[in-house]
Amino acid sequence: MTPQPSAPGPPRPLKRKDAPSSSNTAGSTNHNKRRKTQVALDASGPSKRKDAQSFSATTKNARHDKRRQTTKDARAISSQASSKAFKNGELDVDKFVKAREYEIKALEQGMARAKKALAERAFQQVPKELRRRTASHNVKRVPKRLQRRAAREMVEDKTKSDRRKPSRHMRLRIETAKRLRALSAKQRARKDAVVKDQGTTNVQSDQRPVSVKSRKPRVKKNALKDPPPAPAKFRKRQIGKSWLPTHLYHAKRAHMTSPKEPLWRYAVPLTPTMKSYRPTHRASGDRGAVAWDMSYMATVSLAGTEQSLQGLLRALGIGVSPETKQLWETRGQRWSLGTRVWEGWLYCRDSFPLQAIAPATVIWCAENEPTSVLGAVAEEKANVQRKTVRKLLIRVHPSAFHQLWDEVLRLAKVQKPQVMVEDLRFEIGSIEITGPASTEALLGALWPNTSTSCRDWPQGSVEATWSSLAEITNPATLPENVLFGFDIVDPRLHHPPRTIAIPQSTRESALLSTLSKWPCDQTQTSPKLFDRNARLKAARALPSQKAINRRKSFAVPGTYPEPKPSDAQIPILLYATRNLQSRNGGQSRAQGTWNFLLPWKAVLPVWYSIMYYPLSTGGQPRFGGLREKRQIVFEAGVPWFPGDFPGTAAGYAWEVREREKRKEDWAKRPRGKRTEWSSVDLGNGKKGEIGDGWACDWERLLTGMAPPTTGKSAEAAGDPSSKSDSVSPPPKLCHITSAAASSLLSGSSPLHNIDLSTALATVTLDLLVRGVPQTCARIYRLPSSSAIDPTAISLRNSWLALVPTPESRRRGREQKQPFPSRLRRDAPPHVVHRQLAQSLLKPPQAGEDEYPVCPGEEDLIGFVTTGNFNLGEGRGTGIGCILLGRVLDRVREGRDEGMKGRLCVVRNAGQSVGRLARWDIAG
Amino acid sequence: MVRIKHRYLLINILYPDPKSTSGRPATKPGDEVPYTVQFRRPSPDRMDGGVLTRLIRDGVAELYGDYGSGKVAGSLQVKYFSQATSTAIVRVSRDYYRLVWAALTFATRLPNPVGQSCVIQVVRVSGTIRKSEEEAIRRARLSIRRAEAAAKSSNAATAGLAAATPQLLSTEDDDADMINGIEDPDDPRDIEEDLDDDEG
Repeated sequence: MTPQPSAPGPPRPLKRKDAPSSSNTAGSTNHNKRRKTQVALDASGPSKRKDAQSFSATTKNARHDKRRQTTKDARAISSQASSKAFKNGELDVDKFVKAREYEIKALEQGMARAKKALAERAFQQVPKELRRRTASHNVKRVPKRLQRRAAREMVEDKTKSDRRKPSRHMRLRIETAKRLRALSAKQRARKDAVVKDQGTTNVQSDQRPVSVKSRKPRVKKNALKDPPPAPAKFRKRQIGKSWLPTHLYHAKRAHMTSPKEPLWRYAVPLTPTMKSYRPTHRASGDRGAVAWDMSYMATVSLAGTEQSLQGLLRALGIGVSPETKQLWETRGQRWSLGTRVWEGWLYCRDSFPLQAIAPATVIWCAENEPTSVLGAVAEEKANVQRKTVRKLLIRVHPSAFHQLWDEVLRLAKVQKPQVMVEDLRFEIGSIEITGPASTEALLGALWPNTSTSCRDWPQGSVEATWSSLAEITNPATLPENVLFGFDIVDPRLHHPPRTIAIPQSTRESALLSTLSKWPCDQTQTSPKLFDRNARLKAARALPSQKAINRRKSFAVPGTYPEPKPSDAQIPILLYATRNLQSRNGGQSRAQGTWNFLLPWKAVLPVWYSIMYYPLSTGGQPRFGGLREKRQIVFEAGVPWFPGDFPGTAAGYAWEVREREKRKEDWAKRPRGKRTEWSSVDLGNGKKGEIGDGWACDWERLLTGMAPPTTGKSAEAAGDPSSKSDSVSPPPKLCHITSAAASSLLSGSSPLHNIDLSTALATVTLDLLVRGVPQTCARIYRLPSSSAIDPTAISLRNSWLALVPTPESRRRGREQKQPFPSRLRRDAPPHVVHRQLAQSLLKPPQAGEDEYPVCPGEEDLIGFVTTGNFNLGEGRGTGIGCILLGRVLDRVREGRDEGMKGRLCVVRNAGQSVGRLARWDIAG
Repeated sequence: MVRIKHRYLLINILYPDPKSTSGRPATKPGDEVPYTVQFRRPSPDRMDGGVLTRLIRDGVAELYGDYGSGKVAGSLQVKYFSQATSTAIVRVSRDYYRLVWAALTFATRLPNPVGQSCVIQVVRVSGTIRKSEEEAIRRARLSIRRAEAAAKSSNAATAGLAAATPQLLSTEDDDADMINGIEDPDDPRDIEEDLDDDEG
């Protein structure tokens, strides 16, 4: 009955006596016969009843029966008869073992088959991130390979299909489309007729110009640039905003900003339509790569003598503080030679620690005669240098662009000789990519241009160095902020990209020596991206897709088309950055990021090349939206501009925008289902949320407790820079960068002109207990230890009692469950006693009576600007801003008590439970 | 719609009477079958799922009368029965699996066409068939290891290589202990936890 005992073949249902092929009757009766034999075995009521039904065999029932039978077959587990297993009924160790082995195999196969035969519909096979709610009713919503199966299943289980009569709006659109199609067909016919006429008679040919030579547009210096004219087809959709070069790609695959509310005057992808963030998290840290089109970042080009450029940058606050002074000396030499980039904060004119504008990237253009020795400063060169015009790029977030532009323009006119400022906003685009496979993906997409036919670059050249980086899985391993400037070939000529060959570890030493010597410092020539003519030329030389396709069709099958000297050379600037600081100082996981700038028109082909690059680890790079960008940065513990810097004008504008959005969301909900802010219990009999529940209410924080009477704040209010902001005047907040804030807290720097009552610092929040902070959560300090009020002291002590000791933390790790499981009813008394003792020793949990209440509003120090669950940490973390003036004395008085000075309580807006946390200056 | 919930009982059938069983020790001289192998004998050829069903139904009817057999009959099903290993998986509705368990425990003799004395152990009660299958696999593995170890040790004893084997044995299976003649006694908590998993 069964095959060899050692290898169970296709398992059959239990004890079926008749082979299906033996009876040649019609299908349905065959099943009945089979069923009958099983009835004796199963002896279960339902199967008998089914039998009776299937005798009145309609075709539908037959199909149903067939399905039942197949599932039944799939679920049956094969078994072995004793007479087969043991010859002559003799017991034997060998046979005994074989019988068990057979059983194991049969059960495993049975499990696998039963799982396969689960009633799984086609749309359930789609990976989670691709699932659509409508897929169960609309076949078109599942991937093509599953559509046929899905259609069949829908018929089988009588799912109602989504095929409805088109709605009125839909009918109108269908009609319009039909009419447009007819119109275009007519036009095409007319055009063809004209061409034919020309071909035959050749009458009008001399009237047509052969080629129109376009005049080069004059460079608009010191003026803002208009967005490029959109193609007529899309013009109406770009009024009041502009599209990124990859808009069409993203609009199909991502949720974009709504048409009425563009972000920073761009249509920005917010988040991919693919569900679930976790794959993006994995791609950014473990395997894969995530890319963003960052073309909305604004670029400003400055040209002038080195001295006046330096003066301008100094006025913007670069290298002014004592810590960064070295930037203008030996330390920043590589930067000013154009082989490194600099990232940091820019400030309003000559107001260094105050009035921060935005973090920016500054890139110097390398000069064409490469300096042989870094340290050599020749005196005779100095004279020449004074005359030669140098260029640099400033790259800044669009939300702060106008503020920076005004500042730069004003400063440029003051310099002697003047600095020329050019707005390159729609001329230079950029792409950002992070993740372990980012280097690989970029190498596959960015092929350095070969001026000659051979693909060998001289040893140590920029192109050769770039091509040797294939093994790098983290851009942060490169020297800090390295910059490459070279030309690439049109990536469409080698599309679709192929996985590059990654050299094995035998060449590791070569890579290590490259990384340590970094030959590009000597060989970097002036990148062509700084040259306007080169940019324009590259953009114009980009052939049409049609031409590319033609060339590809002429190429030998399986090879890419031969490069031609007339091919476009796309200039790019590529630089790697690392997150300055990551959470807990854990540098091992911190991924660096590749950024590259390239002409606006070239962004799209390069983007496609990256997106379709087959990674050696499987899959393709993913793309991210703004939300992914924010979350990845958040998980690294780094604040995001502008959202986490409400002390800047751009950050405050962002906060106002978000505040309105949250208020709208809140107002939309029915009264019974939304948080009633006025009835939030804050403890000690206080009721009502502090300020607006949907906002990080900085106004309330500043004015709520202490009336603004100091002269300093009035002075700040009259500041000209705050007026330039178009939104609403920011409430005199002033962002203090991390370096300044930490030196202030450590007491190493004097408090010169910083107004402590309005100085905001961005902090990271680590919750010491449970809980997830949300955006807008309130941050409180602990009541002062030197308070006179005894209740304040006891509140402070009860909060301090919650601080987990190293011992309790260890115990928590040892216990699998953080909470004791419910005792069994018949538990012995000693177990009950033990549990009781443990529960008495444990700090109070939230919700219990002993759990401390939140401190009062006088102890409010700030708000959480970004709070969420952190997949990297496996718990909730937050990034917030606090008023430095309110924590300074706590930090100073708690300096000798370890971390006590930096303890705080975080309470989500609309909730009454506070959570103990610890703050640290971020960035 | 509410899901109908079941319990799956994993059963071992033991045949204590050495004379009437089908599996007799091999008669070859000097080839002693270890005790672990003798303990788990194959079922006789006429024993199958149907006989097991009948045994349970009769047992339930005897112990609990019409009430019991009525409650059990609707859902009782033998999902798997292997003669060679005398293992079975029986499905029954969640509310009345204790009736079936009791009937199995009180069974001393297989019904008529077989007519042989037996002891039935319920070794696992689980909420899904998958878990009971996994348990069956685990137990099969365990008994393979035991049988091999026993065979090895007996061989070694005859060959005079007893010095080397204790180490092997101790590393391989620490759990192959016998307590009161029952292999691998279950921790009563295991079964209860298993039930808790599924009830949610």
